[in-house]
Amino acid sequence: MTRPFEPSFIIEVIPQLLPFLGTTLAIVTGTVLFGSMFGFILARAKIRGRKISKLLADLYTAIIRATPSIVLLFVVFYGLPELLLGTIGINSNGYNKVFFVLIAFSLQFAAVMSEVMRSAYGSVDKGQYEAAVSIGLSERQAFIRIVLPQCIVVALPNFANSLIGLLKEGALAYTIGLTDIMGKGILIIGNNYGAYALETYIALTAIYWGITLLIEKSFHLTENHLSRGNKGISAS
Amino acid sequence: MTLNTEFMLETFFIALKGIPVTLSLAAISLLLASPAAFFMAIARINRIKGLQKAVTVYVSFVRGTPMILQILVIYSLLPSLLNQLFMNLNLKINVFDVNPILYAYIVFTLNTAAALSEVFRSALQTVSIGQLEAAQSIGLSTYKAYTRIVIPQALVVALPNLGNVTVNLIKGTSLAFMMTVKDITALAKIEASYGYNYIEAYIVIFFIYIILCSGVQLAFRLLEKYLGGYRKPAAG
Repeated sequence: MTRPFEPSFIIEVIPQLLPFLGTTLAIVTGTVLFGSMFGFILARAKIRGRKISKLLADLYTAIIRATPSIVLLFVVFYGLPELLLGTIGINSNGYNKVFFVLIAFSLQFAAVMSEVMRSAYGSVDKGQYEAAVSIGLSERQAFIRIVLPQCIVVALPNFANSLIGLLKEGALAYTIGLTDIMGKGILIIGNNYGAYALETYIALTAIYWGITLLIEKSFHLTENHLSRGNKGISAS
Repeated sequence: MTLNTEFMLETFFIALKGIPVTLSLAAISLLLASPAAFFMAIARINRIKGLQKAVTVYVSFVRGTPMILQILVIYSLLPSLLNQLFMNLNLKINVFDVNPILYAYIVFTLNTAAALSEVFRSALQTVSIGQLEAAQSIGLSTYKAYTRIVIPQALVVALPNLGNVTVNLIKGTSLAFMMTVKDITALAKIEASYGYNYIEAYIVIFFIYIILCSGVQLAFRLLEKYLGGYRKPAAG
């Protein structure tokens, strides 16, 4: 406690951390990819599925939303190997930790995305689809060319929020031993025998904050660009 | 895959003892954060110079950094600051005697205040300015106009978001074990560590959080129904 705080170490440690930003971003990208695919299936089930699949999708979303990320991460990390071994006899002992992190966060992100997609779909007036079909587009064309582009614009802010949430929750992956940017920070602190902990944490905080601001800014610009033709009633 | 059901049952009841800790973390953080969040919201709505900027930066910081880093920063910063304070005040208090739950209250309050300020801001903005002006025109003071006219209406609007913040807060408190607070997660982890029954322990807390968060969601939904009774649904 007597060691003075050294701001210069914050600057020094950032170059050591940055190479591991790739891992963090790769996890986020992979999760967005897998989570969105699964989320799309869930959203589809919620919008036009049968009663039973709608119920299951709703139940799944409710359960995931009530589960802390760290608990889900641990359940997957400790439970999945046993499940794989017990049911289909696959030994996942040597698997990379990225695998478990991706699964845990994809499960979570899918639930979030399904809600984002569902609300975006609900916001597009049904008349748009009907009008498209009435002028001779097929159901598929009407969805892809007319409804989907409008959904995407509506979904953007929520998607950005979910993405930021994912990035932040992703920081928990170090707890199962993944060396992403956060994990590297913890390793650096370990190598210094616990010294410069606060400085390292502050450096990490700054990096995360920077990325979040970048995401927010770029989504804001994209949103403005995409909704340029859209004049709502609140034009003021 | 064989689960040690006996252990699970035992751990379930042990972890249940953590519920009061988890709930008190959530409740006290909400209570402490609400007034601060309210004034932050007012500062942003009324564009109070300087204050508005500060609040914006604060909210952006909390939203932009992982909770785990906020915990780690505060938990490595605060004890030494407190120690300094105690020494300067000549208090014979050992900083290691401070209950770590105090740090947890601080972290979660700071975190929740940011989230709540956004909720309050959007809720207050839904109440038309005419309501405030009408209240003032019939002779109510600004304070009374707020407490009797504006806030009750805003609160009803804010309830769903308030529920989300509360659930997120409860989920967030699962990280309190990092500060050696004995909440649900910590108690189950301790039980698990005796016999390496991590899978069972995490499945148990998984269920406890589902029950807890679903309960809170249900409570908010009922409250919404009860308080929102005066609002008639828009003709559809």
